[in-house]
Amino acid sequence: MVEVLLAIGIIASIFVGFNIGGSSTGIAWGPPVGAGIVIKTTAAGLMTFFVFLGGWTVGRNVMDTLSGGIITTELTLSAGVAVLFFIGLGILAANIFGVPVPTSMTTVGAIAGLGLATDSLNYATVTEILSYWIVTPFVGFWIGGIIGRYIYPKVNQRVQIEKSDGPLLTIHRTGAVPKPTFGPNTTWSELSGTAVVLILGCYMAFSAGASNVPNAAAPLVGGVGGVKPNVAILIATLAIGVGGFTIARRTMESVGSELSNIPLLAALFVMFTASTITTLLSWIGIPISLVLATVMTIVGIGWGRATRPVTVREAITRDTGDPTIVSGAITAEGIEGKSAAPIGGDEPEEMVDAGDLFNPRAIIKYLSMWIIGPSISTILAYGFFLFIPGVA
Amino acid sequence: MASRILVPMDDSKLAGQALEYALDNFSDADVTVIHVVGVPSSLMGEAAGLALEDNIEEAAAERAEPAFERAREIANERDREIDTIVGVGHPARNIVGRAENYDTIVLGAHGADRSRMVRRFLVGNVAETVSKRAPIPVIIVR
Repeated sequence: MVEVLLAIGIIASIFVGFNIGGSSTGIAWGPPVGAGIVIKTTAAGLMTFFVFLGGWTVGRNVMDTLSGGIITTELTLSAGVAVLFFIGLGILAANIFGVPVPTSMTTVGAIAGLGLATDSLNYATVTEILSYWIVTPFVGFWIGGIIGRYIYPKVNQRVQIEKSDGPLLTIHRTGAVPKPTFGPNTTWSELSGTAVVLILGCYMAFSAGASNVPNAAAPLVGGVGGVKPNVAILIATLAIGVGGFTIARRTMESVGSELSNIPLLAALFVMFTASTITTLLSWIGIPISLVLATVMTIVGIGWGRATRPVTVREAITRDTGDPTIVSGAITAEGIEGKSAAPIGGDEPEEMVDAGDLFNPRAIIKYLSMWIIGPSISTILAYGFFLFIPGVA
Repeated sequence: MASRILVPMDDSKLAGQALEYALDNFSDADVTVIHVVGVPSSLMGEAAGLALEDNIEEAAAERAEPAFERAREIANERDREIDTIVGVGHPARNIVGRAENYDTIVLGAHGADRSRMVRRFLVGNVAETVSKRAPIPVIIVR
């Protein structure tokens, strides 16, 4: 009986991991793949490795919270399997209806529903998690806002990310030791720019592992008949990897296309901010959705930029045409004839009001969309464990 | 007889039919097509991407161009000319906000990819919202 249960659990865990792999690979590697810096297969390979690293290290703290922190009793295998089904249900809803469902929050919701039904909810932990969930979107939004308003415009003037034709590096095999040299059009700046993009992709993959591996792995690590944490992490990683190599080909385009609306440089800021938020919270054992951290940073950057008054000076200088596109990845040379306008200048008459893109009501409505998934999972799990008490 | 007609258009087939209806049934009216860009989406990519452009106005116009091209094609077939307006952000709010400059709004009953819940939640049914809130008559094409 326990074996059958475990088998069902592993299948459910693979389903969850597979889908997580699809969505988080899209988020982490959509921009680099879209920019033609890495191919999808390389992205999936790097994704798998760094997800594993994140899950194996920082992810353990989150696993502890999920399997033993939210509820006062240990999460049993049967309850874990049921929880996995609720996570799967959330993912299914996300796939069918195209609504974003933050997996980590759905997981906590399902386990909390279990705790409520069996009267074993650890209110102190849940309150702590909830308070981080309330604060984090604001933090992401605020950091994004600062980047969008003050940092991005300045950096954007000095830095161009551009991919030149031809391979980045070519290997010379004439000597005794194969020696890599630059491709035909490669410059130092392109090389360093590509490196930055790759490093940030890996960093985001790491944070995806830290926050998402536990969702698929923790429910399997329950008491009698459960698997060892290390085994659960491996199963989850493999499933995420398979998702990364298969369905992520599509999500890198769909999610990636959402993200590729944003200039690559801005996407890099988003990736760095979201990964840092996610990694730090995972470090202290707080389950947090990488996707949520990402969207809040995007909204923040967009809002910060949209509400930045355009000064007359900028309105004039921006008509002098595009800055010279320097071939090479990130060029740290100032580009003449285009300067960042100080904040608070007079706003010229403009037909398009950029503030309409991110008005407060729209942002609140947008945020509320992210609360629906986890709330439903809590209610469903509560009902389930209440009426079928044998499972927990 | 309505002389100034506003036709909101997205990428949907029905939006094209709304324009056809407006042109065919109001043969001497001034028809203005409005297309809204930077519409809320699941990751807000469209809106943020637009916001990050150096020249938002220019970028918005560029993004609206395919829709306008389609509208002009429909108008050309009927030897008519149309005006175009670009809006940003929320479609219904944009349309209702400009309604007072027109006599009638003609729009499709539903927009593109109506099956997506995100869009339905964030953007809503534009035709429904516009018909409820606009201060002028609204014709909904089905």
